[in-house]
Amino acid sequence: MKSMKLPSVPKAESNVTATVDVSGRRSFLRSLGLGALLAGLAGQLIAMVRALVPNVLYEPPRAFKVGLPQDFAEGMTYVEDHRLFIGRDQRGLFAISAICTHLGCTVKMLNLNQPRTVEIKGKPVQIQQEFQCPCHGSKYYGDGTNYAGPAPRPLDWYRLEVSPDDGQLVVNSSQPVHHDFRLNA
Amino acid sequence: MKLKEHWETLTWTWNPKSVRESSDSVVRNLLLHWFPAKISRPSLSFRYSFWLGTISAVLFFVLCATGLILMFLYVPSVERAYPSVKDIEFVASYGGFIRAVHRIAAHLMVVAVFLHMMRAFITGAYKNGAGANQRRPVNWVLGVVLLLFTLLLSFTGYLLPWDQLAYWAITVGTNIASAVPLIGDKIRFFLLGGTEIDQNTLLRFYVLHCFVLPTAVLLLFSWHMWRIRKDGGLACVDRLALNEKQKTSASIKTKTYSLLGITSGRTVQVQTSYINEDEHLVESSPALTRRLLLVILATMLVTLLLGFLVHAPLEQAANALVTPNPAKAPWYFLWLQELVADTTVHLGSYTVSGAFIGGVLVPGLLVLLLAAWPYLDRSSVHATGVWFAKERQRQNMVFLAVVLVVVLLTVVGTFMRGPSWHLYWPWQPWPETPTRF
Repeated sequence: MKSMKLPSVPKAESNVTATVDVSGRRSFLRSLGLGALLAGLAGQLIAMVRALVPNVLYEPPRAFKVGLPQDFAEGMTYVEDHRLFIGRDQRGLFAISAICTHLGCTVKMLNLNQPRTVEIKGKPVQIQQEFQCPCHGSKYYGDGTNYAGPAPRPLDWYRLEVSPDDGQLVVNSSQPVHHDFRLNA
Repeated sequence: MKLKEHWETLTWTWNPKSVRESSDSVVRNLLLHWFPAKISRPSLSFRYSFWLGTISAVLFFVLCATGLILMFLYVPSVERAYPSVKDIEFVASYGGFIRAVHRIAAHLMVVAVFLHMMRAFITGAYKNGAGANQRRPVNWVLGVVLLLFTLLLSFTGYLLPWDQLAYWAITVGTNIASAVPLIGDKIRFFLLGGTEIDQNTLLRFYVLHCFVLPTAVLLLFSWHMWRIRKDGGLACVDRLALNEKQKTSASIKTKTYSLLGITSGRTVQVQTSYINEDEHLVESSPALTRRLLLVILATMLVTLLLGFLVHAPLEQAANALVTPNPAKAPWYFLWLQELVADTTVHLGSYTVSGAFIGGVLVPGLLVLLLAAWPYLDRSSVHATGVWFAKERQRQNMVFLAVVLVVVLLTVVGTFMRGPSWHLYWPWQPWPETPTRF
């Protein structure tokens, strides 16, 4: 049993101590009080931290319209407001992000004078464009596959849909898709 | 048990097992280092001081903590202030609660600081007592300045929601400030950052509220506590020395300090200990720390409970073209607004504005008198640290009378003033007033 000696009544001697009994009711009440204080502080702290995790974001929507499908010719068209390329080939339309996967700069497109054949995942693919990032020199093939530089992975492909109300192309940047994706429009 | 050992290592200073450990606690613990190793029993009394100073300090730290979170969520721009407050109330998790606690703690702090000032006055704690080199009047003046800063903190914070209540309360307040003779308009221009209450005002009040005034309060508060230690403790401690002096005692040359304070001067002065330490002193850890934790718990309990129960109001967004009728100052300035409304004096063709008399002259004189009172008080040292000392009865009565008048004016202003500042009983309904012309 812990005991603390404190003077409680005037005593004649100078080195006197009296005992405070810290058992039983007193220690229970002390634990109760301390527990209540800590619980209150902890609750307050949790509330304060949770309040800083936003419930609503006022950022622009991740799905947006970019124009009518017929506005996009064969090849790659850069959509400036949204940092992405809309591509069209024989099979249909697709969307490639222009945001470099290294540190987020906007990549530049290079049209190749002559199309060349490269091997992507074991299969030969003919490419007519390349993407290059001016910040740290990452290089990508026309389908977004990274082949040089510090980029860790290929450029993202986004889902394309046609809007039911006005027929515009809708890019959904929250839904990445495979390189096989094409939209027939 | 390892856990118990760890707990002991962290908390032994709050739970010392011997007098030696108790003394060590104030040396080895950062938070406890500003307490003396031993403290007099009368200082610990709840009935002497009601621990109002501690309560004020706890409320201040609650305000700092909740205010910090609000700073992450609030935007001090005239276009976005009101929407950001609505986001705090309705979108951010616990935002409404944190804002309610912030507001309640602010009101409680104004009350606590005022009551603390009243207690210090009535007990004559601004007076020097038996110790050497005491400067309690200085501490009193520090306290008055802290009171003013508390009111200013509340005033600057009041504007931030940028709703009708905020906008027009600050309109009333700053127009009273412009009634200061000669420099009034310049004061208003500087305060507002222009001629209108607009973006400059909001930003200025925001910086004052979040940085300048809290820093000033922290520094003055530290000085205030430092002075307590230098003056030998609370004023009630001097009574012990005075009572002891009445008994004849042999002067013992001991290397103790004057009362409980530290002597000033370049050489160590060996003085007789004025009080019987064994009889009157207890170890700060745990006697003081225990009561301190209790007061913190009680204050937090009341504040958080009221924060749950009382929602912070938010009226319509501020509209400079539409004045609500009536337009009232914050409650702690309503007594001023009452005075202002009632003290316009016509002397023939001359009119002395109520804003000057009621808003500047009367409160200015009162504050000056309050601050200077320790230097005007003529009572003896025996009235230090005594509740309602006979010697100081008259000054205490006058003081309480003035406080009563202030409180009454505040009550009238809060509950009995309706549209066009007409008097209404609290239960009388107010007439509908047109809000647009």
